[in-house]
Amino acid sequence: MANFPPSDGSTEPHEPRDESDRPATGVEQSDLELVRRVQKGERGAFDLLVLRYQHKVVKLVARLLRDPAEAEDVAQEAFVKAYRALGSFRGDSAFYTWLYRIAVNTARNTMASRQRRPLDYEADLSESEQSVVESRMRHGDTPEAVALSDEIHRTVNGAIEALPEDLRTAIVLREVEGLSYEEIAEAMDCPVGTVRSRIFRAREAIDRSLKPLLD
Amino acid sequence: MTDQIREQMSALLDGELPRDQVGLLVRRMSRDAELKRTFGNYVLAGESLRAPGGVMASPGFAARVSAAIDEGEVAGSAVPTVPARSPARWRRPLAATAVAASAALAAVLLVRPDGGEPQLFAERSGAPESPLVVTLPVGGSSPTPGQNQRLAGYLVVHGQYATPISRRAVWSNALATDPGVARVTYENAEAP
Amino acid sequence: MRRGLAAAALALAALAAPQAHAGAQTAGEWLQRMSDSLATLNYDGLFTHTAGQQSETMRIVHRVDGGRSMERLVSLDGSGREIVRTAEEVHFYMPDRRVVLVEPRTDDGSLLRALPAPGPKLDELYTLEVRKGSKLLGRDVKVLDIRPRDAYRYGYRLWLDEETAMPLRSEVVNGEGKAVEAMHFTRLEVRDRITPRELEPAVDATGYQWVRAGKRGEPRAANAYWRPRKVPPGFRLVATRLQIVPGVPVPVQHLIFSDGFASVSVFIEPGTAKGPAPPESTSVGSSNAFSTQVRGHVVTAIGEVPAATVRDLATSVAPVEEMAAPAKPSTEPTDR
Repeated sequence: MANFPPSDGSTEPHEPRDESDRPATGVEQSDLELVRRVQKGERGAFDLLVLRYQHKVVKLVARLLRDPAEAEDVAQEAFVKAYRALGSFRGDSAFYTWLYRIAVNTARNTMASRQRRPLDYEADLSESEQSVVESRMRHGDTPEAVALSDEIHRTVNGAIEALPEDLRTAIVLREVEGLSYEEIAEAMDCPVGTVRSRIFRAREAIDRSLKPLLD
Repeated sequence: MTDQIREQMSALLDGELPRDQVGLLVRRMSRDAELKRTFGNYVLAGESLRAPGGVMASPGFAARVSAAIDEGEVAGSAVPTVPARSPARWRRPLAATAVAASAALAAVLLVRPDGGEPQLFAERSGAPESPLVVTLPVGGSSPTPGQNQRLAGYLVVHGQYATPISRRAVWSNALATDPGVARVTYENAEAP
Repeated sequence: MRRGLAAAALALAALAAPQAHAGAQTAGEWLQRMSDSLATLNYDGLFTHTAGQQSETMRIVHRVDGGRSMERLVSLDGSGREIVRTAEEVHFYMPDRRVVLVEPRTDDGSLLRALPAPGPKLDELYTLEVRKGSKLLGRDVKVLDIRPRDAYRYGYRLWLDEETAMPLRSEVVNGEGKAVEAMHFTRLEVRDRITPRELEPAVDATGYQWVRAGKRGEPRAANAYWRPRKVPPGFRLVATRLQIVPGVPVPVQHLIFSDGFASVSVFIEPGTAKGPAPPESTSVGSSNAFSTQVRGHVVTAIGEVPAATVRDLATSVAPVEEMAAPAKPSTEPTDR
């Protein structure tokens, strides 16, 4: 969570609310910018936030629910709740942290109302992706959904394998290692503009290969 | 030109688009389903790289969220709408509650701050106002304090006289979205 | 979080009378310490509030200035509703309804009235016990058990941070020992200062409907004063007011009952012309409400006590003239 400097001239230190002391990343800033736009009435900005976090939220909710077939319904409810509550989001935390909380609570309430027993106070779930967990979750999907998901992954992987090395490196450093453009520029010893262009072209190639699949 | 917009989308996804370019891009994207779809594919690429073979949102998900939000705004109800394909056993029933609740709230009191006689500025709809009597099954949907303004007013007033811990509980209940209000109506009137 | 609480503990030690709080041992002393901390410390925290089968994340910011307690309580999930209690008023923001309820602050603002008073009277109604608990949020805690001696009230279980006596977790417990409501902090910062800005609501209320309770004008002579004929054991009438409640068309009589720890409000408003409504019991977490019609008035009792207690209180009030009549031999069954 971000550290607000005191605005009234007081000199008390406030505890950083993040585990790490890293300043907000580019994505967090970008999210905040989108949130501000939604708060000012630009509905379209919220659509982008949904697009960005849809998979993460669905994944998270699927992990929490015993019945992953309802994960999308619950995830949808979480996003709608977030939209309605956006007026009260003040940027004290990253947007995704706030959204994560809403998703966890929505999932918990779902389970509680279905199972009719008191809730446990669970510790916050770790976000580590465990492939064992993932494959178990897929039992709940329909065969068609599983087949499509497999094919999407195969297509994306195929497209990435086929990329020239500099494009592949750039997108992997960005998406898997989470480096900023500047950090990637340093790692690849090229200008930031080149990094931006390489990542874009990698995505374009993947988009081209996904189009026939998802149309 | 289109390439330039798509490259901006790619940068936006990474949080690397200059702030002054965000506004125009967002507006463009909200008018263009194709751009949104492409953005969605860029997101998908990242997800797939990080967790091949994992659970993810199906292709129409974002559009369904958008539709649900739009629907909610039109109805003016605080209750999230149910996607058509869900059996929705566990959800709260919708239309009847929302209509009844908004009818109950149609009469809103405005008290003049100068302390003059309270007047009722009512926009009464057809349904009669009976804020405390509810005929919904216990455990199903029930008006929340937000929908029952009288109860909300009582909770706020009462909270002022509670101990700090109780006040926090009372007001937390008033603030909760769906505080699970359980109501029982006695069939036989109990004369005191 | 650790450093925040440690700094606060130092501040608290400097402020508090060392003799009163050094080495608090008894349950009663812990209760007093907790009450003092809640009323005098500046803090900002996130807690999960669970009632029935719902849980919600809330944020509370508490600020003390000039002996007055002010706070902001906001729901972080879904509703976005918040309550802000300033020095003068209480504002209840409902963004999903685009309504703000405004109520003048009616406690005199002094902290003392906000504190429950442990003492011999409380001992008659509750047993208090304190023991060591397992760590919460990495802090050492004492568990304070407040158990009612009868079925007219709820019990409480409080997990108190040993250094500051802040309740890191609290439960309201019914007669079967089951928690009917719970709150636990997931993050708590006790600070030397909270700025006024941090109590400002996040909601932008322009265009909202402001429903005010209006000024407290001179109390009007009511046609009838209402009093309870029979009060559940341990409760007594502590205050009566003529109150304008936001959302209610006419001034209502407001009777406040307390057993020293739990409080119950009884509101009496003139009934509508639509005819008697059946009595009704409502439960919102640990708050129970009972409403019924008495002599053409709608009587509503609401409090953090079991349903039977609010029902008893609601059904026991009557206009004073009736009570002045010579009492007939009472044949009322006292069923519980």
